[in-house]
Amino acid sequence: MSEQNNSENILEIKNIEVVYDDVILAISDVSLDVPKGSIVALLGGNGAGKSTTLKSVSTMLASERGKVTKGSITYNGQQVEKLNPSDMVNLGLVQVLEGRRCFGHLTVEENVISGAYTRKLSKSEIKSELERMYSYFPRLKERRKSQAGFTSGGEQQMIAVARAMMAKPKMLLLDEPSMGLAPQLVEEIFNIVKELNEKEGVSILLAEQNTNIALRNSDYGYIIETGQVMLDGSAKSLLNDDKVKEFYLGISSEGRKNFRDVLKESKKNKGLQT
Amino acid sequence: MGSEILFFFEVVVGGLLAGTMYSLVALGFVLIYKASATFNFAQGAMVFFAVLSFVGFMELGLPFFLAFIVTIGLMVIVGLSTERLVIRPLMNQSEDTLLMATIGLGYVLEGLAQAAWGVEVRRLDLGIPDFPIMFIADAIGIFISALDLTAGAVAAFMVISLAVLFTQTKIGLGLRAVADDPGAASSIGIPLKHIMLLVWSAAGVVALVAGCLWGARAGVQFALVDLALKALPVLIIGGFSSIPGAIVGGLIIGSTEKVLEVYIGPFFGGAIEGWAPYVLAVFFLLKRPEGLFGEKIIRRV
Repeated sequence: MSEQNNSENILEIKNIEVVYDDVILAISDVSLDVPKGSIVALLGGNGAGKSTTLKSVSTMLASERGKVTKGSITYNGQQVEKLNPSDMVNLGLVQVLEGRRCFGHLTVEENVISGAYTRKLSKSEIKSELERMYSYFPRLKERRKSQAGFTSGGEQQMIAVARAMMAKPKMLLLDEPSMGLAPQLVEEIFNIVKELNEKEGVSILLAEQNTNIALRNSDYGYIIETGQVMLDGSAKSLLNDDKVKEFYLGISSEGRKNFRDVLKESKKNKGLQT
Repeated sequence: MGSEILFFFEVVVGGLLAGTMYSLVALGFVLIYKASATFNFAQGAMVFFAVLSFVGFMELGLPFFLAFIVTIGLMVIVGLSTERLVIRPLMNQSEDTLLMATIGLGYVLEGLAQAAWGVEVRRLDLGIPDFPIMFIADAIGIFISALDLTAGAVAAFMVISLAVLFTQTKIGLGLRAVADDPGAASSIGIPLKHIMLLVWSAAGVVALVAGCLWGARAGVQFALVDLALKALPVLIIGGFSSIPGAIVGGLIIGSTEKVLEVYIGPFFGGAIEGWAPYVLAVFFLLKRPEGLFGEKIIRRV
């Protein structure tokens, strides 16, 4: 992700700092690039700053009294700081929030249709878009008339992704799609995400704690901890990285430690090799 | 015997039609509740503000329809400023904060209305007599007021248009989405500002219509504010988030309070109309807290 092919990146985050309520520092220094058409994973534990990073991009921070205080975010050649979530959707960037957040009292179909709110579509166009989404999520078609609040966690995640895709986004931000789901379902959802990326050409930035599945389905990965990028590299290299293996994939001989310590140790021993 | 049954029907029909006027007020509450999950205590004040301004404009010499249009414009401005000055700054606060804000807003509106138009009670003549319609009385022997009948027709019209707005239009879908989860609605680009604006303006128009009907019956006066709070038991029975619920709730309250007043009232020294609906509401709270048509609170465990 070098600097010279700027135009190839749909999203560029440069050294942002994010503060909540004017005092709580959530992110101290995060930079990352998402090349057009790729899937990039943002990895890290609870409170590392993954969600905050995504919300700074979708400009949904303001509603939680957060603010980007340093650095810049450029989406598709445009600075995002003065824009609001509705502008971002119009520009083709949609976030799928953590915890799915379906409209529980609306039917599955109404949920999905609501995603097309910003597009000026006729009834028949909405119908064909809907059918297109059902082809990716056949399970939702079966449950189209059910109230979304009564569907399973996996179905709700599918609703949330389908709803976001109805806006015909160029870029999708996914916040912890695997959260609280059975492994098979997580696999199924990641397969669909990958399919959407390939067939619809949508670029994806996804935040995940499930390092293994995220890296297996991504092109590139960033590991962040306490609001800073600790390590980045191609998904393949990260999957084979000893430090990542030890701390995030749980393949270790000496028990758990902080990822920062793992990095320090290896630096002491032979220096960072990323 | 026959005349007793006729009299009973007359009481019930009169109650049902009077109930539609409660329903109209309740509709205003439902609109706001649907979009911001808060009970808008200012709705009564909006009813008072709307109809007082309407009468005020007519006193200034505006003809009936022009005054009506101007008042609708005024209510849209009230909705607009409420959204901008009260709702938007409190958007991410808890629902309780918003509730308190609506209580404050109510006082502001009452004050503004009285400061602008004075405090005396006014008559409002809609040109619809509040007398029994004779040909109905002759045909089936039941006395039904023309005003009540008009109120029923107007309520039915408002309900049908609002139901269509909510379920058949894009903006209605957006509105229900915002009511469910404003954060998620905003994440897919639904502009909360526009939705709130629409809802508060619509609530203003509903308040005006309800105010006209109540004002024509009871006079345009401060007591309308309290009368509007009768919508509370209506909503508890019908369900806070349901338009059909507001209607059915209004009908139940209207008819039971009249029947109770006429048949049981004398044992209590009369005037049980005032509190009987609240007793009924308490029963509902104990047995079916979401109301008849309210959305069941969905919680997955």
